[in-house]
Amino acid sequence: MRELLRMLRPARQHWRWMAGGIGLGVAVIAANAALMAISGWFIASMAVAGVTQASFNYFFASASIRALAILRASGRYGERLVSHEAAFHILADLRVWLFKRLIPLAPAGLESYAGGDLAGRLRADVDSLENLYLRIIAPLATGAFTILLSGLFVLVWSGSAALLLVGLLLLSGLLLPLLARHLAEQPGKRSTELAGMLRTTVTEGLQGAEELLLLGATDKQAQTVEGFSSGLVQQQVRLGQISSLTLAGVTICGALAMAGLALVCIPLVQTGQLAGPNLVMLLLFSAASFEAVGPLAHSLQLIPATSEAIRRIRELADAPIPLPEPLHPQLPESCRIVLDQVSCGYGGGQAVLEQFSLTINQGERVAVVGPSGSGKSTLVELLLRFRPYQGSISIGGCELLDISPDQLAQLVAAVPQQPHLFNSTIRENILLGREVTDEQLTAVLVDSGLEQWITGLPQGLDTPVGETGSAVSGGEARRIALARALVSNAPILLLDEPTEGLDGATEQSVVERLKLRLQGTTLLVVTHRPACLQLAERIVRIGATKGANV
Amino acid sequence: MPSHPTPEAWLRQQARTVKGSMLAAILAAFGGGLLIILQARLLALVCQRVVIEGIGRTPLLPLLAWVGLIALMRGLAAYLSEHAAIKAAAQVRQQVRTALYQRLLRLRPTGMAGEVGPLTEVVTSGVEGLEAYIARFLPQMVLAGLLPLAVLLVVLPSEWRSSLVLIFSAPFIPLLMILIGKGTETLNRRQFARLSRMAGHLLDLVQGLPDLKIFSAAKREAELVALVSDQYRSGTMAVLRVAFMSAFTLEFFSTVGTAVVAVIIGFRLLAGNLSLLDGLFVLLLAPEYYLPLRNLGLAYHSRMNGMAAAERIIPLLQQPLPTKDLLPQRAQRNTEEEIIGTDTIPTLNSSANLRVLCGESVEIACESVTFRYGGDRGGVQNISLTIPANSMTALVGASGSGKSTLARLLLGLAQPESGRITVDGVDLAELDQQAWRLQLAWVPQQPFFFSATIRENLLLGRPDADDQAIQQALAAAALSEVISALPEGLATRLGDRGAGLSGGELRRLALARVFLRDASLVVLDEPTAGLDAENEQLVLDAMGRLAAGRTMLIISHREATISRCQQVAVLAAGRLEQVTTSQEYLEVAP
Repeated sequence: MRELLRMLRPARQHWRWMAGGIGLGVAVIAANAALMAISGWFIASMAVAGVTQASFNYFFASASIRALAILRASGRYGERLVSHEAAFHILADLRVWLFKRLIPLAPAGLESYAGGDLAGRLRADVDSLENLYLRIIAPLATGAFTILLSGLFVLVWSGSAALLLVGLLLLSGLLLPLLARHLAEQPGKRSTELAGMLRTTVTEGLQGAEELLLLGATDKQAQTVEGFSSGLVQQQVRLGQISSLTLAGVTICGALAMAGLALVCIPLVQTGQLAGPNLVMLLLFSAASFEAVGPLAHSLQLIPATSEAIRRIRELADAPIPLPEPLHPQLPESCRIVLDQVSCGYGGGQAVLEQFSLTINQGERVAVVGPSGSGKSTLVELLLRFRPYQGSISIGGCELLDISPDQLAQLVAAVPQQPHLFNSTIRENILLGREVTDEQLTAVLVDSGLEQWITGLPQGLDTPVGETGSAVSGGEARRIALARALVSNAPILLLDEPTEGLDGATEQSVVERLKLRLQGTTLLVVTHRPACLQLAERIVRIGATKGANV
Repeated sequence: MPSHPTPEAWLRQQARTVKGSMLAAILAAFGGGLLIILQARLLALVCQRVVIEGIGRTPLLPLLAWVGLIALMRGLAAYLSEHAAIKAAAQVRQQVRTALYQRLLRLRPTGMAGEVGPLTEVVTSGVEGLEAYIARFLPQMVLAGLLPLAVLLVVLPSEWRSSLVLIFSAPFIPLLMILIGKGTETLNRRQFARLSRMAGHLLDLVQGLPDLKIFSAAKREAELVALVSDQYRSGTMAVLRVAFMSAFTLEFFSTVGTAVVAVIIGFRLLAGNLSLLDGLFVLLLAPEYYLPLRNLGLAYHSRMNGMAAAERIIPLLQQPLPTKDLLPQRAQRNTEEEIIGTDTIPTLNSSANLRVLCGESVEIACESVTFRYGGDRGGVQNISLTIPANSMTALVGASGSGKSTLARLLLGLAQPESGRITVDGVDLAELDQQAWRLQLAWVPQQPFFFSATIRENLLLGRPDADDQAIQQALAAAALSEVISALPEGLATRLGDRGAGLSGGELRRLALARVFLRDASLVVLDEPTAGLDAENEQLVLDAMGRLAAGRTMLIISHREATISRCQQVAVLAAGRLEQVTTSQEYLEVAP
């Protein structure tokens, strides 16, 4: 429970909405219970008056009945609006909070989560937090207050009746649901897990559908998904069964409460301690008070699944940041890059780079070549501050770890090994929110060899690139990524196979343009294409014996 | 365009496939309703005896025991009804999800299905949305018709004036509900689209986080996440403000109706025209009269959820399959007909093509093939090209000149808009696609790997391959050393997008998968890009071995690769510029 409340902390600024939802919830249930109680008392009094021919002042009662009816209906509407408003405010805050926590983790801290699962955590798990306030915390608080109020009300006439009613309310609102919650713990966890696996598998299969089709593995994939789905559905049926049992228990308690109350109170009527009409009032009141406990069962049952979602979110959000921001950031004084005895390996596996040393002077242009798997791309990722390393990497005399990521972004631009194209237009993909003049943009387009192609497009720069760049070819995607890097005008540029997927003629012209543009830029280009080597003044080979310089 | 069934009709069709459980759910709930009436009568009787007749507890004990017994029976009825409804909905979800996913896996390669994010959303949460309609709304709708009628029947003889109040207040409820519901439906549909867009947006952002960080754009995107979430909130609230109006109306009429009944009964009792037994009986039943209608109002939200989900699902299920693709027999029987209703599955005339499909090496010919994506870019026009059996053909051309499109056409992933492609003289369109695919091997520019072990990913090429075959394939792709150097070897899991291996290594892994496959046509898209000269040499040697007795088409720019091919086809702006030998091509090329 503490975990659940802790999760609300990022959204605590919305406490007024939250409290308002709970307050209105109590008022609405109280209005209904009062309506039924007064109605019962009213007609019983009228019946008694009718039989005894005594006079009875009915104005107060009939006016209250009407007022309560209206209060009840409009209060319910307000309560639902306020509590949903609170829930969505909380959701929005949590989503942003989580995304911000992911920023320092990417990419090294996120590699162990597959894309679908990651997106699942970001959306489905965060969405299941919609339950947190709306279906867990608000109903629990509302229920607790109403049970308390009901007990106090009945206590005015009979202690034992109050005890009986509160007992049954607690049994059906708390004990039964807790039992159900205990039973639901395993299937709840299992169903969240299965939903995550289902999502991952569905995403993977759809992304790889073409290859699956050609490999003849489509049915196999469909069966895997069918298996996960049927597992998930089975767990959901088990959860449903538990909730049905709780519902049955609450129904029984509600009906028994009236029988029990009659049993306790009839002797009081006999002895004159309780007026006849008040008996009717208490009976109807007790029936109506069970409205408060109905949602409790559901709330308590949701806790395990929601806790699991929260655990998964916490696991992600509290993951250790691979390269934390420096406490005392330093400003590099030049663009001289020095790698001294640098080693790096993925997740405890074998080292990709070992004892690698390299110095790139300010304004020097260096190409790195070597067999695949020799750590060329890792080198680029290291300089981007994406991976932890042993040894020392410094830029302008400052250790890389002591440079803040924002400062580094001012200094270094890059085309990574697998640039990501966002599902947006070419323009937005190049600019990524940065602002440049039209002339600057045109120059970048020319230098990255995009201009001719873009001029030929009917929508020009506003052409959408599709999901992960699916509407453009591999070569076009690379050049968009190149343009994105050139827009920065950063003094240091890291290019990982910038001309991959380009045909000879295009590649040659791009290289020619870059040679002119990159005068004075400190450049590290990773490539095996001879044309690209023309960009460099010096060629460094990473050999089969890892990290040997030639 | 085939006409789709309305979401409502389709959902009811789904419910009919689980008729038994649905009926059980409704009957049990109706039984529970009848028990409530009985209980009200007994309680009213107890009050009459105590308050009016002054009778003590002991003579009333049997009566109270009956109330207790009815309480237990009501519990049983509630359990049975709920459980049956949940089971019914579970079965429907499973059926629909299976049919839907099978279809999407076949639609997706044609590019006609849409983007992965929203599709995943439909298959997972979208299908979950059906539960609301099947388990909540449908039973409630039937009960809302039955239970109030039963209550009216027993109230009418006791107190006809109150019955009139009940009768006249009831019609307002469905009437207003429909009026308000109509307005909400459009809003709700927009809402579902917004939810899908948001899912795609977040997946996109998270996958591109490294790129955002390079250009310190991540914080700006975080603001965008806030903006999108907030738009989602205000959009949802707009829907809910209207949706809750219907619930408000129900609540209003039912509470005010109950209040009016209470006042009428009160005055009839005061005048001495009614017994407390009958009066209290009617008052106790008044809320029960409105309850099914109120529940229906609450379930109306469920109806809209279900309808919105159905609206996204139906077009996908109804979209005709592009090729002569047949769903597996089992799924076809159970799900095709019932879930989709009518569908036209192309039947296959499989006489002429058996000859082709058992051959070892095939000759592929394009005859005036034209295909545009619906736009001018990246398509091909009027291509006539013969790829001889037992040969390697290189496909070269500038980026965007249509190389990948042509490869997709040859692989049968797309169908020519005009012209035809033949395999040993047989039209590709007339071939049994599944059998033809067994003859194909393909490595795209960005090969796809599952989050599974290296072995599992390799076995996709040939599920029955033994260890020896796998080792041979790895050796052929020059990967043996790399894999054996991994601590867990073949059991190493490939993470998201294959993280853990370098770009070149992943491409070679995809090649190893091809080596495992015994194909007669092999299409490689830039197989050696990303490999250093040494590894390129190794792969090319292996490719040479593979080429024996097979037809190969290789998209490549690289000289070393092209020089291995006998024939070179040059594409420019979607047209075939020339077909020449590799010697000639390399001599002329810059």
